[in-house]
Amino acid sequence: MNRLLALVALAVVPLAASAQAKPAAKKSPTCGWKPGDAWVTRQAEFFDDSKHDWSDDTLRTQLLQAAGLGAALSAPVQFGVEVQGRAAALGPNAAAMTERLKALAAQRGSKWPTRSVVGAAGVHAVYLLSQSDTGLARNVLHRMMEAGPSESPAADVATFEDHMRLVWGRKQIYGTQFLVGADGKIQLSPMEDSAHADFRREDAGLPPFRVAMCLAKSGS
Amino acid sequence: MRKVISRSVLFLLTAGAALAQAPAGASATKTVSFAKETVGKEPSSFAPMVGSWVMSQDAGHKVLFIDGRVWKRGQPAGGLADKARELYGARNEEFIESIKAFAYYPIAVYKGLDNFENGEISVRFQMIGGTLDRCAGILFDVKPNGDYLTVRYNGTEDNVVLWTFNNGVRKFVNRAPTLTPLELGTWHTLKISVHGTSLKSWLDDKPMHDYTLPHSVSGKIGVWSKTDSMIEFDDFTVTPTAK
Repeated sequence: MNRLLALVALAVVPLAASAQAKPAAKKSPTCGWKPGDAWVTRQAEFFDDSKHDWSDDTLRTQLLQAAGLGAALSAPVQFGVEVQGRAAALGPNAAAMTERLKALAAQRGSKWPTRSVVGAAGVHAVYLLSQSDTGLARNVLHRMMEAGPSESPAADVATFEDHMRLVWGRKQIYGTQFLVGADGKIQLSPMEDSAHADFRREDAGLPPFRVAMCLAKSGS
Repeated sequence: MRKVISRSVLFLLTAGAALAQAPAGASATKTVSFAKETVGKEPSSFAPMVGSWVMSQDAGHKVLFIDGRVWKRGQPAGGLADKARELYGARNEEFIESIKAFAYYPIAVYKGLDNFENGEISVRFQMIGGTLDRCAGILFDVKPNGDYLTVRYNGTEDNVVLWTFNNGVRKFVNRAPTLTPLELGTWHTLKISVHGTSLKSWLDDKPMHDYTLPHSVSGKIGVWSKTDSMIEFDDFTVTPTAK
């Protein structure tokens, strides 16, 4: 896949797991989001790995290393802002782990790395790693949707679906995908039903669209 | 007096035209009007058994909304026992037990028709959202024990599928061969016709199913959805016909 993506989410430096951990508000002070916003709280609850209740710690560690993530994530993890043409920084073993995920996805009945297997940060790592391969991404999105809201972060699933819809030649529905226009300015990729976008974004635990647009532009 | 006569003549002409168009033995077409419903409340014309079904507005027009944002696994709608008693009297406990097993699937039963065996059912729907599913379905053959059939469109799969629910088990029956991607925020029409064991379905007038059921249909009808779907429904229309 030629599309390279900038994940604004990665700008948030991984810190110790804590729902109350200080977010990276300093990065975009003018975009208007606050640590107490409902979507931040929702992500904090999902990405709180402090209970260490996953079953495969080895796979989790490998996934985090491959995705270039720290031991735990602090909210917000997913702003729902991807800019086409900007690459996410992955770890040195990303390619090998991507191949391993491909093999897992192709194997029926395999123990897929959901939240109960690799923790919330591990699932986010799967999401990041799978962006680089269209075939794998399709399988991973399907697996994440199938696993349900307790096993897959809704904000990642929403951003991922938008990403794949554009790959498939359709319009996005959450407003998470941006591109750099010929004039060098950030533009929203084609979108359908923008009237209900914030409705959907709220449901997925993403910030309002105006925040996402502001973040996209501020990172340009 | 002239006005009274004119109205009477108009009524007779209208009734005559309607009768001329209706097949022999047909009952009148019923289209549910939400005009007198209260936005934010449950509909009076449907009994929500699973899920949060509330009246909403789309461009000033009242519509029935399944709000998947509040969907929780294994969570039937509020007041299920009272609603089941209203629909099925003494057999309500059997219905409740079965419905609880299907709490993954929000349903609302139409109160205006006790038994649908033959004819057509259609509904307009608009997908608003849903991370896991975006399902809009027609519910029919609803039995007192909670068994039912549904033909539904799923916007995350772009397909129309017939499902059966029997004794607490959901089974895939038949998938329409055509994939039909639909845009969110746009209105579409799902329709089925039942004649004996013949089941046909259409999506926006495009044929989807032409299927033979293992048994004839008999039971209540309504609307169906799945998990976190957010769907608006309107113009639920049923035209029962004689066997």
